Amino acid sequence: MLVLNRQRRRIAVLSLAGLLCLSAGGVSTYGAENNPLGAGAEVVSRGRDLYNETCTVCHGVDGAVGDRAPALGAARSYVRRTDAELFDAVRNGIPGTGMPPTGLAEDDVWRIVAYVRSLRARAADLPTDGDRKNGAALFWGPAECGRCHMVHGRGGLLGPDLSDVAAKLSLRALREALTVPKPHPPKGYEPATITTNGGERISGVLKNRHNFSYQLLSEEGRLHMLSVAEVARVEIADRSLMPADYDRRLSALEFRDLLAYLTRLAR
Amino acid sequence: MRNPNPKLLEVIVAAALWCTAASGQVAYNDLLDPPDQNWLTYGRTYDSQRHSPLHQIDHGNVAGLAPAWIFAVPSGSRLETVPLVVDGVMYISEPNEVHAIDARTGRSIWRWSRESAPPQNVVIERGPNRGVAVLGDLVYVGTPDAHLVALDARTGAQVWQAKVAEVEDGYYSPAAPFAINGKILMGVAAGDYGLNGWLDAYDAKTGERIWRWESIPRPGEPGHESWAGDSWKTGGGGTWLSGSFDPQLNLLYWGIGNPAPDFDGDARLGDNLYTESVVALDADTGKLKWYFQFTPHDVHDWDSVEIPVLIDAPFDGKPRKLLLHADRNGFYYVLDRVTGEFLHGSPFIDKLNWATGLTAEGRPIRVPGVEPTIQGNLVCPSTSGATNWMSPAYNPATGWFYLAVKEGCGISYKAKQEFRPGGFGFMGTGYVESPADPWRMFVRALDPATGKMQWEYEQVGSRHYGAGLVSTAGGLIFAGDDQGFLTALDAATGKPLWHFNNGARISASPITYAVRGKQYVAVAAGSNVVAFALLQPNP
Repeated sequence: MLVLNRQRRRIAVLSLAGLLCLSAGGVSTYGAENNPLGAGAEVVSRGRDLYNETCTVCHGVDGAVGDRAPALGAARSYVRRTDAELFDAVRNGIPGTGMPPTGLAEDDVWRIVAYVRSLRARAADLPTDGDRKNGAALFWGPAECGRCHMVHGRGGLLGPDLSDVAAKLSLRALREALTVPKPHPPKGYEPATITTNGGERISGVLKNRHNFSYQLLSEEGRLHMLSVAEVARVEIADRSLMPADYDRRLSALEFRDLLAYLTRLAR
Repeated sequence: MRNPNPKLLEVIVAAALWCTAASGQVAYNDLLDPPDQNWLTYGRTYDSQRHSPLHQIDHGNVAGLAPAWIFAVPSGSRLETVPLVVDGVMYISEPNEVHAIDARTGRSIWRWSRESAPPQNVVIERGPNRGVAVLGDLVYVGTPDAHLVALDARTGAQVWQAKVAEVEDGYYSPAAPFAINGKILMGVAAGDYGLNGWLDAYDAKTGERIWRWESIPRPGEPGHESWAGDSWKTGGGGTWLSGSFDPQLNLLYWGIGNPAPDFDGDARLGDNLYTESVVALDADTGKLKWYFQFTPHDVHDWDSVEIPVLIDAPFDGKPRKLLLHADRNGFYYVLDRVTGEFLHGSPFIDKLNWATGLTAEGRPIRVPGVEPTIQGNLVCPSTSGATNWMSPAYNPATGWFYLAVKEGCGISYKAKQEFRPGGFGFMGTGYVESPADPWRMFVRALDPATGKMQWEYEQVGSRHYGAGLVSTAGGLIFAGDDQGFLTALDAATGKPLWHFNNGARISASPITYAVRGKQYVAVAAGSNVVAFALLQPNP
């Protein structure tokens, strides 16, 4: 019954909105499945400003967790995923919760929707501003990213290939990879030193391990496949080799440029 | 037309009758006391101990175990089927499909498949399917559109089907059906969609429903007061795994799933009976004899469907009929299965932050604030639980209880959500595994009376659930993991004695059986069923 009532109310609101729009001579975008304003950089940028002005009494700035409301761009489960569902929540609030109707104009609601969606989008969908050429120079030079990471066949072997990183990670995840230390090294990239029964010490990253065997890529780029019976000692580091202080290691401008380069790495 | 030879006709009829009697017949007495070579129910025996008296494969020779055959299920993806074996014939299932296989050679005997009805329904492909039941000449399977289907064990011909629930409502039936004397029990998956669950008993011969027990009490029924307002209408309480049975007491023991919405407890204040409970039901009538609720007012989606293991053993110096249950909430419980009395409870994981212990009645002493929030909150164990659908085992020789264990925490969130009929998620948001506490998987042996750990074996590198366990009189525990390894452990020490990389995630529980005096161990891995035996030329 609850649902029927809600549907009826929605239909009534829709009809009313439709009538109002008709009488005003415009076309309502209310109830549209997809954002009529699209997801262009300008729409997102304006949406971000509107969000930070309107929503941060409860939600956190730039989509982070707030004092009274959840993060809108973190790695978590979401109930509202589509443009239409987000529009409904921003425009009408969420009954029974602290989320109020915003009272914003339809276009501004869509701008906020575009921004919230951008928080969850892949980095390549929203490449950031900056000097990407300088970003590339930093990547292969002083930032030393290329020592461990490969891009289109050039670079090091110990870290993940970044040729397509902007298509795989959200902007937020990409930013966090550069600035927030991981609590554990990711599977396949655990730094380790193995001492064999013969006394040989091999350092590198563990591509895989189980109770019975190790697959280690050495710093020299050689693969070592060892059964546990061939191994005297294994030391596995609890920290990733990936530095997570690029926002401090680099200047603000340099960090911006590095991100501009990385957010364009998509095949 | 020549007259048929009456003598010959007599011989043919007699032969046909003999064949009918001999081929694949499983009497109720067989289920009560299964022949050593067979695996006739989900947990092998009604007590769900998953222990086999076979001992041809033992400590001394298990190192020589090798694949005997592989049966590929072409449309399979991640099988969760627990194979049954009846006198050399193996029955396996996946959603809407059953195969009969020569258990000695892996050769197909028959395949049955069906389309869910109505085919346009959005939820028809819901899986997995966890296996079949056998009784008489019939093989029984639940379907993604919530039917119970009976097949002729010799040909796969469909004999009858019964509707367990309305598929349009969003129900499906992933559990292996459970056969007792003249009845087949079948439950439903329901909880995450705000659908109320039940357990049904059907006439094994006709498919006619004999009784239904509903896991969410209706107005006027005992337990209804544990639901605020109308919240019971979308209360959940699925029955998505099999159960156990004590024929002497004539009681069925069934684990009940989560309340809905899973993470938003504000929407359903109260204890929310009989979710997150084990219930003891009269097998003749389906009437509730007793219940024990592990997690009252659960907000972590910790379904209590984990298979109850029944043992008769001394407790506090007195012989008792016990029920052992390791719950997804991280506590191990010992109950008196005659009365439901709580006898013991203790954590079987190290990382448990939501309760400081259990009261004398077995009710959790909660740590305030460890619940989902809109900002996200650390909960240990995570929603995926300290254990889950993978069956535990009991070995009468060591006297220990063995189980698959997960250590790890999650970040749990909640949000207001409105119920939408038709099988749509009604979880009140969800959780992510905590990056700071990634999954670690173990096999652990517990003393059943005290819950004290006897040994543990870490499945190094595993970060997802793998398989349940099988115990053998050869002194072995077989365990599978998400990396595809089937491993034989010494039941006394936990030491790995043999392993094989199946190349695909193992998500089901292994079994063991024998054909013509040769013992096999079989497990579903990825889309294959693989059988192992001591190395010798294949027939």
